[in-house]
Amino acid sequence: MTIDITVKIGGEAGQGIQTIGTLLSQVCHGAGLFIFSVDDFESRIRGGHSFNLLRISDEPVKAPGNGLDILVALDQRTLSLNRDNLAQDAMVILNSDTDVGFKENILSIPLKGLAKEAGGAITANTVAAGAILSILGAPYKILENLLKNRFAAKGEKIINLNTTAAKKGYGAAGEIRFSKKFSWTPQDTGAVIINGSRAIAMGALASDCRFFSFYPMSPATGIMTSVVPFMDKLPIVMEQAEDEIAAVNMAIGASFAGVRSLTATSGGGFCLMTEGLGLAAISETPLVIVNAQRPGPATGLPTRTAQADLLFVLNASQDSFPRFVFAPGSPMEAFELTKKAFALSEKYQVPAIVLTDQFLNNSQVTQENTFVVDENLPTFICHDDDMTDPGQYMRYCFTQDGISPRAIPGRGKAIVRATGNEHNEAGQISEDAENKIAMSKKRNGKCKAMIQEMDLPRVLHGDSNTLLVGWGSSREIIIEACTALRQKGKDVGAVLIKEIWPLDRDRWRDILKDRTFIMVEQNSNCQMGQIISRETGLFYHGAVLKDDGRPLYPEYIIEKTTQIME
Amino acid sequence: MVQPNDYNNDFENKWCPGCGNFLILNAMKQAFAAQNIPPEKMMFISGIGQAGKTPHFIQGNIFHTLHGRALPVATGAKTANHDLNIVVNSGDGDCYGEGGNHFLAAIRRNVDITLLVHNNQVYGLTKGQASPTTALGTVTRLQNQGTTSQSFNPMSVALAAGIGFLARGFSGKTEQLTDLIRRAMAYPGFALIDILQPCVSFNKINTQKWYMDRVYDIEETGHDSADFAKAMALAMKWGDKIPTGVLYEQETVPFHQRIKALGKKTLISHAFDARKVSRAIL
Ligand SMILES: Cc1ncc(C[n+]2csc(CCOP(=O)(O)OP(=O)(O)O)c2C)c(N)n1
Ligand code: SF4
Ligand SMILES: [Mg+2]
Repeated sequence: MTIDITVKIGGEAGQGIQTIGTLLSQVCHGAGLFIFSVDDFESRIRGGHSFNLLRISDEPVKAPGNGLDILVALDQRTLSLNRDNLAQDAMVILNSDTDVGFKENILSIPLKGLAKEAGGAITANTVAAGAILSILGAPYKILENLLKNRFAAKGEKIINLNTTAAKKGYGAAGEIRFSKKFSWTPQDTGAVIINGSRAIAMGALASDCRFFSFYPMSPATGIMTSVVPFMDKLPIVMEQAEDEIAAVNMAIGASFAGVRSLTATSGGGFCLMTEGLGLAAISETPLVIVNAQRPGPATGLPTRTAQADLLFVLNASQDSFPRFVFAPGSPMEAFELTKKAFALSEKYQVPAIVLTDQFLNNSQVTQENTFVVDENLPTFICHDDDMTDPGQYMRYCFTQDGISPRAIPGRGKAIVRATGNEHNEAGQISEDAENKIAMSKKRNGKCKAMIQEMDLPRVLHGDSNTLLVGWGSSREIIIEACTALRQKGKDVGAVLIKEIWPLDRDRWRDILKDRTFIMVEQNSNCQMGQIISRETGLFYHGAVLKDDGRPLYPEYIIEKTTQIME
Repeated sequence: MVQPNDYNNDFENKWCPGCGNFLILNAMKQAFAAQNIPPEKMMFISGIGQAGKTPHFIQGNIFHTLHGRALPVATGAKTANHDLNIVVNSGDGDCYGEGGNHFLAAIRRNVDITLLVHNNQVYGLTKGQASPTTALGTVTRLQNQGTTSQSFNPMSVALAAGIGFLARGFSGKTEQLTDLIRRAMAYPGFALIDILQPCVSFNKINTQKWYMDRVYDIEETGHDSADFAKAMALAMKWGDKIPTGVLYEQETVPFHQRIKALGKKTLISHAFDARKVSRAIL
């Protein structure tokens, strides 16, 4: 039997929720277990109510857990807020100085007090981790080894402090055990724990991206912090810009000068980048932008998740121009699609947008380690040697496919003129009417070939009567919901979209025609549903929408879908 | 030897006859030829406005970007390849108004580029509205009761922000301007030349004669450009007498030398090493 449990660690911001979650994840990882970990944080550094939801299983898990098997309440409030959601045989660890002991499945432990006994209040998190692991039946040795590794650089004293604290936690839990028990045999599965942010950073580096410009904004900042550890090892430059306008224009400048560049932001920052997006488009300068969505408009909910920028990124900036839009559904897809975004942006000389969200960027998941850096990276740059006469080079010369060979300024004899004004083939301003039409046509004409580059949506049980249609980060949650619905005897399949734009209308229509389909989206206006209607002429029959900024859970989809189907 | 004429191109010039920009363009060509830099080694980056059009009228690599955004684009380009000789052409509105935040940031970064601001104290291309450098109370077609904001002083602001090379030129003194451009380019770091430029179509106050009556060369009267306090005093000077020349010059470490990854060679010149990347990230 699969063991699949969910641990919720809740308390005030600043209480070390994440540290406890990370310790638990690592111990589980070391024992070959699979985790899925979601953070739910308020936009504050101290106080309030935040939590980490950690799903642990001996089978791969790719969506957040919804049950509540073990609640770790760092404050009383967490207990009151979650009391009603506890699973039947759930256990609670409550941080409390009074009523210490175990009753009615609540184990009260004075975390700070025990930490002080161990030698320092700051080890309260380690005490907590010890107590939780003890209840889960994990041998103390595993945690001890992990702490030794983790604090190896800090010296014997810190290691001892933490192992003592861990022991205190184990001691406090005594013989109390949760009903389900993993086998806890250390093993190296070769898998890694990773989140979307890190995967994107890795994808960019694997694409030979060397310039990163950004302006801090949740939940995109994690992408840039994920690049930092590589700065000593690879030729890369990261620059914190004065604003998002500068960030995007720096990336365009670096790309123009021949270096692959990335900028990352969230919706508000993307608003500021839209004129730059148009500059990349008309100047045909490759550019990759990550928009990690959070609820809006304006500042919205800074630390929460959403899928509400789809219509915006598809239409951002004036007039019309081709662009790629990708929406990965897992860290592995984030890695792969970031690579694809770089390759295609350069090949077609159009902007590429990777649309993620807080949920994907921040959720940690056990991922099979199949990341590869391609040995031969295709590049699409031309040099003097490729030209009959570099003196006659024209940056925007008309070609069959609309792609003009792209030379890099200052690298040879060819003179490169890029212009944000409408321009002629040579890159000089042109207000000629015929030229405007021809240049628009040249740029938009790339779309045909671009469509051929796009993978179709993934279809599960496509011959089912009812299809759940979703995109981006909700992929695994929809799959889990779909599987559960099928187990309940419902004739349900799923359509999972990761490569959004440009889309192949006819083939998308083929997938959806003659089917009842239900959109599953984290927004209030069913944005992908609107796109599908517009492009295929097919209308969705219902929508499971979630617009509260919180992650989507399989149970929510199951419940709403069942209602719609009845 | 490179000649100024090598910088000519046959694209039709679109400035008004008599515009000060022609003389700035001339001085640029002279300065590049004087340094023996061939056009294919020059990179002109500009914003939007009459000044922003400059790159089209000269031979060389160009990126004519967005209103106010020439500096970030130039920063990115210079970071990607710090061997590029980058000259930015911008207007007073483009640089000090729309791009004001980038102006301050570029000074702080000390990117090794030369910024030429064609300061005509007016929005030329959009037909004569007030610009940040328009004097308080000036009547324009739009501000018909006179402008209500004090004028922006790019010189004192640049100094306060910590600029390493600061000069003021006048389009009407081409020889001096040529020399200033040459020195600004030779300076390793961010160099600003605020160039006073008559706009014959929309600025009927600050005319060629108006400037001629006022500008003087601080090197003729004697000035120690290493002296910050004296530079600041000159930067504040405006009215009957307008100082031109290099107000301030101070040795600094340019942006690309502050970045470890750019220590040995330019960012663009590294070959992609899949195995090294693989080892680093996987
Ligand atoms: C985002 C944006 N806003 C406004 C404009 C319109 N515009 C073009 S040039 C300009 C002002 C130009 O003034 P200045 O920078 O002083 O240049 P000049 O024409 O005087 O040389 C404005 C407002 C624009 N092109 N883009
Ligand atoms: S409007 Fe003024 S700045 Fe523009 S070209 Fe004419 S004279 Fe020169
Ligand atoms: Mg002006």
